[in-house]
Amino acid sequence: MADRTPLLRAENVVKHFPAGLGASVKAVENVSLEIYPGETVGLVGESGCGKSTLGRLITQLLPVTSGNIFFDGVDLTKLRGEKLRQYRRQLQMIFQDPYSSLDPRMTVGDIIAEPLENFGLLRGRAKDQRVQELLKIVGLNPYFNNRYPHEFSGGQRQRIGIARALALRPKLIVADEPISALDVSIQAQIINLMEDLQKEFQLTYLFIAHDLSVVRHISDRVMVMYLGKIVEVADSVEIYRNPRHPYTKALLSAIPIPDPEVQSKRRIVALAGEIPSPVNPPSGCRFHTRCPIAQLPTPCADQEPPLEEKARYHRAACFFSEKVPVAV
Amino acid sequence: MSQPVLQVKDLKTQFFTDDGVVQAVDGVSFDLNPGETLGIVGESGCGKSVTALSILRLVQEPGRIVNGQILFKGDDIVTMSDEEVREIRGKDIAMIFQDPLSSLNPVLTVGFQIEEAIEAHGKVPGKTALSRTVALLKQVRIPAAESRVHDYPHQFSGGMRQRAMIAMGLANSPSILIADEPTTALDVTVQAQILELLRDLNRDLKTAIILITHNMGVVASLCTRVLVMYAGRVVEQGPVEQIFKDPQHPYTWSLLQSIPRLDSDRHDRLLSIEGFPPDLIRPPRGCRFHPRCQFKIDRCLHDDPPLLNVGPDQDAACWVTMRRALASNGERRG
Repeated sequence: MADRTPLLRAENVVKHFPAGLGASVKAVENVSLEIYPGETVGLVGESGCGKSTLGRLITQLLPVTSGNIFFDGVDLTKLRGEKLRQYRRQLQMIFQDPYSSLDPRMTVGDIIAEPLENFGLLRGRAKDQRVQELLKIVGLNPYFNNRYPHEFSGGQRQRIGIARALALRPKLIVADEPISALDVSIQAQIINLMEDLQKEFQLTYLFIAHDLSVVRHISDRVMVMYLGKIVEVADSVEIYRNPRHPYTKALLSAIPIPDPEVQSKRRIVALAGEIPSPVNPPSGCRFHTRCPIAQLPTPCADQEPPLEEKARYHRAACFFSEKVPVAV
Repeated sequence: MSQPVLQVKDLKTQFFTDDGVVQAVDGVSFDLNPGETLGIVGESGCGKSVTALSILRLVQEPGRIVNGQILFKGDDIVTMSDEEVREIRGKDIAMIFQDPLSSLNPVLTVGFQIEEAIEAHGKVPGKTALSRTVALLKQVRIPAAESRVHDYPHQFSGGMRQRAMIAMGLANSPSILIADEPTTALDVTVQAQILELLRDLNRDLKTAIILITHNMGVVASLCTRVLVMYAGRVVEQGPVEQIFKDPQHPYTWSLLQSIPRLDSDRHDRLLSIEGFPPDLIRPPRGCRFHPRCQFKIDRCLHDDPPLLNVGPDQDAACWVTMRRALASNGERRG
């Protein structure tokens, strides 16, 4: 992994949103990450941890407050106008809600053709053919191109969103909770489709979700976020077997396993309270207010633990990572 | 075997819409024993929430219960007067919903709303109501309950609001608590706290719980028995260990195969159930699952299977059942 050149590299990315009266929501704070070509990186965390914001910064749907985002070696944060637009072709997004992310007044064909038109790529019959081909690729009837989004189910709409994202032959797709609005029996269809497409078109995915079991299934590597920070990064098997951050451990233990025999033997690492406000994040390690193994006040409340290598390809931001209990 | 606290018999609830009659709940029967934790699991539109609402006669127009009995301690809720149902609601059977924010009144304090629930079923002196409210908030583990009782809902976090709803549900020590997707809107660490709270309350207070959810993991961590619903019907029911270990209905089996498990190291392709749930105005003939079923036989297309005993205390509505489906698959391969 380390000897390859990353497709995308974020360096010290910061995003603050103004929150009135001079305060600001510190949504993403000094995040650095790499995404390698062809891999799927899972980004997990609870609501408000900044994972969606980070996804939007990476696709440049939101400007960074500071920091750099290199895509194929080019710093996207320095690009403006037409140059940025050309790079955007290679970075596409799939959204959570297949109901609000498709314009209800446009036909499915027009929705999928829109990116092609925006970049003036195809016209007339060639465009129609490409739209039909895309519909087929995502498992829909190619002759549905004249229908409207409301005629489709949630799972089918998500397929339309995927077809639109594929239209420009992107290299990187950021999928923000692409299955959490779907029914259980439909989720597997979309996960399998995304895996098939990845093989067929050599796609790289950043898969953002709150459900660690889905993320573990689809991802090669997993990053865990808490309150604007990445607290752990590791291979998806490794992070489950050997979490090195107490938050990851708690998150893993909280996910119910659909097997009553296994589930009854598991111990949940209870966290005190809930996620603090990102307007005034705790000092030192942001997790110290809820951490079961924090040593207070020093060092956890007054120093910030760096995200550092604890084992090969396994980074965690914790002073006491060796004290995190193993496995579930 | 003790007497069931609730018996639902051949319940049919339909919605009379301009497009036709939606057969949302179509012949659902089950018993709930005192102190039991029963999960009703299924996808959106399978009728699980409408079943729950029917139990408290909360189904709104154009919906109506058109058939069946709902016996609470022997009395039929379906035929009761509105007055009688109101007596049961909140007192004997309480319900909590997915979204605690929209269930709470934003301009009244949390404490006031819980006191209201206490006073709805009999006069209580103000001081007693307040101390009972504080005790309830402590029971659901709201920190600093004495001061938080005066807070407004917006001052509570999502998890605390759901705790407050549970406190309100418990206000009159009901014998049944119906929880409709109580953790769906919450983060996983908060979900784990709420499930633990429900488990402890069930153990300590012996309140029977009906948990409505789409999440198999949530069922596995809280319930002792489960009903699996599909397209308005119960397709399988039994003890959780049995259903999860040896599901006999192809829908239950497929659903369990289609969810990635956190504890599985293999990266197998997930089983996907093709198609999507049927339109309940014109449900398919025969077994309602047959258009999506990979194990169907000719009989499934026209003959509707009843719930039949398929294992210890386990029933499934299937002509084939997984035991036979997997055996004949093995033969073909072997």
